Amino acid sequence: MHETSIVNSIMRTLELEFEAAQLHKMSAIHLKVGILSNIEPRLLHNAYSAYHLSDPTYQHVALHIESTSLKIQCDICSHITDVENYRFICAHCGRPSKNVIQGEEMLIHKVEFIDD
Amino acid sequence: MIEKSTKAARGTVQCENTNINLLKANDFVADIIKKEMARTKTLLINITSSAGSGKTTLMQKTAERLKDHITMAVMVGDLETERDADRIRETGIQALQIVTGGICHLEAQMVHQVLDKFDLENIDLLFIENVGNLVCPSSFDLGEDYRVTLMATTEGDDKPKKYPKMFLTSDMMLVSKADLLPYVPFSVEAVTKDAREVNHELEVLQISALTEEGVDAWCQWLLEKIRLKQG
Repeated sequence: MHETSIVNSIMRTLELEFEAAQLHKMSAIHLKVGILSNIEPRLLHNAYSAYHLSDPTYQHVALHIESTSLKIQCDICSHITDVENYRFICAHCGRPSKNVIQGEEMLIHKVEFIDD
Repeated sequence: MIEKSTKAARGTVQCENTNINLLKANDFVADIIKKEMARTKTLLINITSSAGSGKTTLMQKTAERLKDHITMAVMVGDLETERDADRIRETGIQALQIVTGGICHLEAQMVHQVLDKFDLENIDLLFIENVGNLVCPSSFDLGEDYRVTLMATTEGDDKPKKYPKMFLTSDMMLVSKADLLPYVPFSVEAVTKDAREVNHELEVLQISALTEEGVDAWCQWLLEKIRLKQG
C-alpha cells in the first residue's frame, strides 16, 4: 500500500514539474532512496508495474532505483560518520547528531526524455 | 552469414538532473497547512504509533482534562469505520474521521481537505491521530508543529531501532500503558536509550491513561506549546 502511494506521488510530482508534451517523451525515471526512507526498491518496482495496469500512459518509462547508505555529519567537529545500527553518534568525538547528510533521500534524481 | 543491420540508432536522450523530492506534492500541501495554522494560531500535533498502543484513549483522556480550559479538536485517520471519532466525540469535543479506504498513512492532501470543517480561528489545539503504523506515516509531513509517537509497554522495547525514521522525526515519545510495566518485560530505560541513540533531542514521558500517571505532565507540555504558539 505504501509503495502504491509513493508511485502515485512520483507521477503527481512529475506532472507538476513538467509540461504534458515533455512527459510524453519521458523514457526513464531515476530515483535515489535512502535507507531511512522506508522504500524497498523491489516492492516499489512491483508497485510501478501495477500502476501501469490502471494507467498505461507511462508504461514504456523505465524506473531505476539507487539506494543510499546512512551518513551523519557532526555539528561540532564536522566529521562524517557512516551510521551503523542506527546509532546517530559521531565516530570521531562521540557527540550525538541528527544532521543526516545521506540516507533520508526520496529523490527523483534524474529524468530522461527521448526525442525522435 | 549474419546480415548487417542497416538500422541506425535514432533520436537523442536528454537527461534532466532534477533532484526533486518525490514527496514534493505532499510537502507543498503541508506548507499550506502550516501557513493556515500560523494564521489561526492553532497548535497542530501529529500523533503516531503502532495500532493498539492507546492513541484514541490518550485523545479521550486529554479531552477530559483540557476541554474546560482550551478548545480542542481531533481528526482521526483509519482505514475503515468511524469508531475512533465516535469514541472521542463522547468526551464532548469535535472529532472528524478520515477514512483512508485502505491507505496506511495520512497525507497532507487528506488533512487539508477536511481543514475547512473546523472553525480553526477558535481552536487552540488540533490533533491529527494518524493511522496506526510506525512505517510510512514517518515520511509524510502533515504541516504539524510537533510529532508525538506513542510506544506502548505491551509492544516491546525494541521498536526505536526497528523503526528509526519515526523516532528520528518525532519530538516526543510517550511510553504508554505504563500501568502494565510490572507485568510485561519492557524496560523504559532500554527504550529511552535506543530512542535517544536515534534522536538525542527526543523528549520522553511515561504515561498511563488508566492510573493517570504522567497525564498532568503531558497536559502541561501541551499548554506550554499552545502558549508559545499563541505568543
